[in-house]
Amino acid sequence: MNLPQPHARTEADQAVDVNLTVNGTEVALSLPARVTLSDALRDHLGLTGTHVGCEHGICGMCTVLVDGDAARACLLFAVQLDGAEITTVEGLGWPDELHPLQESFGRHHGLQCGFCTPGFLMSSYDLLTHEPEVQRDDLSTELSGVLCRCTGYRNIIDAVDDVAQAHRGALPGPGNCGQRTLVGRTSATTPAAVAAESDVEEEPTERPEEIELPAGAPTIHIDVTSQLASGPDEVAHVFGDIRLLARCLPGAELTDELGADWYRGRARIALGPMRMAFTGIAHIEEQTADRIVMRAQGKDTGGGAQARIVMSATAVEGGGTALRAEASVFLTGRIAGFGRSLAGDVSRRMFEEFARAVDRAAAGEEEPTAGTRPPGAISLLVATILDRVRAFVRRLTTRGAHRR
Amino acid sequence: MKAAPFAYVRPGTVADVVAELSQEGSKVIAGGQSLVPVLAMRLGRPAQLIDINAVRDLNGLALDRGALRVGATVRQRRMQREQIAAGVPLVRLALPWVGHREVRSRGTVCGSIAHADPSAELPAVAACLEATMVLTSQRGTRQVSAADFFTGALSTVAEPDELLSDVVFPVAKPGEGFGFGEFARRHGDFALAGVAVRVRTSEGSVDARLTCFGVSDVPVTVDVSQQLRAALEKTGSDPSRPDLQSALAAHTPGVAAVAVNTGGDSHASPGYRRRLISVLAAREVSRAYVSARLSESEERSR
Repeated sequence: MNLPQPHARTEADQAVDVNLTVNGTEVALSLPARVTLSDALRDHLGLTGTHVGCEHGICGMCTVLVDGDAARACLLFAVQLDGAEITTVEGLGWPDELHPLQESFGRHHGLQCGFCTPGFLMSSYDLLTHEPEVQRDDLSTELSGVLCRCTGYRNIIDAVDDVAQAHRGALPGPGNCGQRTLVGRTSATTPAAVAAESDVEEEPTERPEEIELPAGAPTIHIDVTSQLASGPDEVAHVFGDIRLLARCLPGAELTDELGADWYRGRARIALGPMRMAFTGIAHIEEQTADRIVMRAQGKDTGGGAQARIVMSATAVEGGGTALRAEASVFLTGRIAGFGRSLAGDVSRRMFEEFARAVDRAAAGEEEPTAGTRPPGAISLLVATILDRVRAFVRRLTTRGAHRR
Repeated sequence: MKAAPFAYVRPGTVADVVAELSQEGSKVIAGGQSLVPVLAMRLGRPAQLIDINAVRDLNGLALDRGALRVGATVRQRRMQREQIAAGVPLVRLALPWVGHREVRSRGTVCGSIAHADPSAELPAVAACLEATMVLTSQRGTRQVSAADFFTGALSTVAEPDELLSDVVFPVAKPGEGFGFGEFARRHGDFALAGVAVRVRTSEGSVDARLTCFGVSDVPVTVDVSQQLRAALEKTGSDPSRPDLQSALAAHTPGVAAVAVNTGGDSHASPGYRRRLISVLAAREVSRAYVSARLSESEERSR
């Protein structure tokens, strides 16, 4: 068993440094000693899947795994966990590939309002990994560490019993752990992001070795092809000028050239009541007349984003160019929670707007977009919603057709 | 429900812990499963918390001259898992009743005993087994028997500058049997009433010790050897457990009347607690006796 390292006395108004591994990501935090693990996860790392109920160890909403054992995150001070491995509900699975427990809770309707669900998932994960032979009759006692205010216990027990029987002794491990950027509302960052952040304040020319993308599937995958009126040669001109290209990105602004194809920039996105201002860095990995490959990483108070983007231009028969943009975007923090599909729609819209701007830039316009003005929030949202409504109507009509 | 600010220190040695502990307003934190709720509700506002989890010497779980020495940072769940702890069966019987798995992952054996909640399981186990508490301070180390350790609700003889560095439980010998039971409204809640039992049998002689908890401000230990012998006179020396339990039931109400001295609360009246103790005592003393006889005969056949 690994013991934490000794730590010198820290006064009540000072912060204590603590290093944790959360869902496979190493994080370095600096917190007042009184901050609980649940608050550190939610406020400092943006992992709001861990719910907080009673905050004094009764309700079990905040159950997480600490070094593989379930524990109440509200009864632990984060500073006590230096060197510990934490697994939260976010680490258990991801929307396209749920953990068997998550899948079973859904199938058995083991969640009503959903507030206790993260606690039940983590508690039952701990139970089934440590006591794989547990029998149905014992489940109510064994799961009594978590309360369901909807009193939906019957379905919860059905869900856990189903998984216990299907996976005796071989419950799959957490399926969504890996290196990613965690950003909370309060300052707390991964070592990589700390390095990136210190660039801004101290060493404006320093940059990381590379932008590391998280393991696992991206939050959003985008593959959009837009038809441009401009010919391939004109598009190649835009591809050859990163400053011009950046001006085509809605809301983006290139603030600094760091040399060797590294750039610093800002991106502002407004969506309904939300205002996000990302600052970050980008690295152009490949730049030819018809293809650009880049990696970018940015953070906002609401979360972080990392992306790999491939843009390629091909000539279209009969004139014009097809501009294809493929992007793998990894989101963390509150923005990740704002809805995978909606975020995908918005990103797609942004790429389409970008394509139009590239077209205008290729045609020789000086200001393809209105500089750093945030992309028209309302128009983006309206377009997104219109898309949704159209898709919904389409689905309805197809269903109707099937019925007939 | 956020703790008030406190200074924090995580020493690496026992000497550093007790040096910090000699400062006014200091409190030790190990698992924190009893302390953090107190801090969250601001019922306690220590100036400084001394996190003892980095002290290797306090993380020991080892046999030591016929006894199991449990260090201050040994988690309850570790006691349930490690084979070495099977030498003290009563602790293993009691642990499933301590909170929930989630609490036992972090909660420590010593912490529960030092906290001295009148309804807690482990103080009663320590009292029943006549465990020894090791208190360490800058003034040195002293040993206190469990019978003298608990002085009232949440109170012990430990001075503010003393650390409960170890609890030493005697390892079970052949001819000993144990029983543990409690009643709570919901599993994991503090017990309305509970009992820990140790029975020793040896070539016809019988000795029985019953510790009740949740019925007074400290664990209450009663010698029930006489009651057990009286019951055995009726049933013979090799009764089935249900027969012995019925025979004991004639004697346990008298025991409960002595043991229960709480004034009662909104959860249970003193009369109800006496009934609980009476039933639990008959059940667990008979269980302990049957397992003691089994252990004695196993030893003889070796």
